[in-house]
Amino acid sequence: MIVFQDVSLVYPNGVHALTEISLTVARGEFLFLVGSSGQGKSSLLKCVNREVRPTEGEVIVDGHGLGDLRPRAIPFLRRKVGVVFQDFKLLHQKTVWENVAYALQVTGASSRDVLRRVPRTLELVGIAHKSKMFPHELSGGEQQRTAIARSLVNNPLILLCDEPTGNLDPDTSSEIMALLARINAKGTTMIVATHNQAIVDRMRRRVVRLVNGRIARDEERGRYHVGLG
Amino acid sequence: MLDWGRVRFFWAEVAQNFTRNITMALTAIGTIAIAIVLLGVFLFLRTSFNIVMQNFVGQVAVAVYLREDATGPQVNALVQNAKADPRVDSVRFVTKKQAFANLRRTLRGQFNLNVLNNNPLPNTIVIHTREPADVPVIASELQHKPGVAVVNFGSDVTTRLLRAEALFSAIGAGIIALLLLSTSLIMYNTIRLTVFARQREIRIMQLVGATGWAVRWPFIFEGILSGLAGALIGLGALQFGYRSFAPKIIVNLPFIPFNITQVPLHHLALELLLVGALVGMLSSLFSVSRYLQTA
Repeated sequence: MIVFQDVSLVYPNGVHALTEISLTVARGEFLFLVGSSGQGKSSLLKCVNREVRPTEGEVIVDGHGLGDLRPRAIPFLRRKVGVVFQDFKLLHQKTVWENVAYALQVTGASSRDVLRRVPRTLELVGIAHKSKMFPHELSGGEQQRTAIARSLVNNPLILLCDEPTGNLDPDTSSEIMALLARINAKGTTMIVATHNQAIVDRMRRRVVRLVNGRIARDEERGRYHVGLG
Repeated sequence: MLDWGRVRFFWAEVAQNFTRNITMALTAIGTIAIAIVLLGVFLFLRTSFNIVMQNFVGQVAVAVYLREDATGPQVNALVQNAKADPRVDSVRFVTKKQAFANLRRTLRGQFNLNVLNNNPLPNTIVIHTREPADVPVIASELQHKPGVAVVNFGSDVTTRLLRAEALFSAIGAGIIALLLLSTSLIMYNTIRLTVFARQREIRIMQLVGATGWAVRWPFIFEGILSGLAGALIGLGALQFGYRSFAPKIIVNLPFIPFNITQVPLHHLALELLLVGALVGMLSSLFSVSRYLQTA
């Protein structure tokens, strides 16, 4: 599903973000990406939706190498790869319903599709009852649910989550992670970059730790720190 | 089948660009309006000048004086060739008898032509061209044809008039180009500000898989609408100016050798409207494309 073959990434300012990353994520897998800030977690996620292009190596998504991907093909890749951010990135002047519909409307979906898929997705993330509210009228958890709904509404194969609980309290974080686990159980491949030790330790999924842009540890049913518990 | 939901969404996005960045939208519209007024005044002056030039130069004709020994077939060939030439508007053959009669009429009371023993005037072919610029060219082509003695077209005056017209056209084209360029640059930067103001939306659009053109179209239509709105305001100002000043010019400057109402105003207005829309559209297109390249 997602394969990194000796991927290295050096930004134009000379910063080495990733070094010789080789990693395979199977279809439907749930993977935690851990490590302190600046270790390359976000850069790795950006390679999957071609926000950045590796300076060396190849990233393969759903059988297609991204190195040779023409710029006009990138939008179609991104429809298969949803992204969720720590700061939600919602449009404040649009309601919950409009924020989610936006992802369909700007990709040319028919209004029939919009009317059919938006309510279903809002139901899935548990925010249907707030569909007419604006982001500033919602709690952090509700805003993140809206962002997740927006990334899910195009039925992506993969969901990339960059610190999805970074701005949330522990209880809400647990709810969001439970939601992500439910989405993963329906077959969506999930890569979650996080600092949230409690959640990683409780969920016991595959854990990949990055240190200085290299894979320092790759563990099935892992924990945040090695050797604990 | 037309999906009205999508149409509604698209125009809502365009309208949102307008209303959310109202100051910048007004700046863009104002810029276009000022440019259209300047361009309109300039085009009006240029068209007026062209009409004057046409009136002056249009009176200039090529007079082909024939040799005494020119044969009938030679004269016939000259007349037929001139008539077949697409640059030629009219051809008139004036016999030496007619020419003498004309001269007698012209000089009546000033000079007695009876003192002459014979008619010194040659047979003449008078040619009017469609374009004044073709007068010297046709004259030089006829100069060495069989049966032709001399070709006259008032060369000094015509050449000077044509040179003045060419110079004015070149300067005019330069001024129009500069005016359009400066307007486009202001529009380009204004739209760029509206693009920056919407960078959050653009980033989300890109992340969810919108194509480059899906991002561009609302801005392009915003540009077209700004251009049209600016052009309409500019045209309103021009019409006001024309209505206020044209009657005064006609009354106070009667020596101007053309009728101010000869200027094709509807044609000019349509041109200006198209220019406004085009400048708006292209400025937006370049602006948002440049942003997408660097984003």
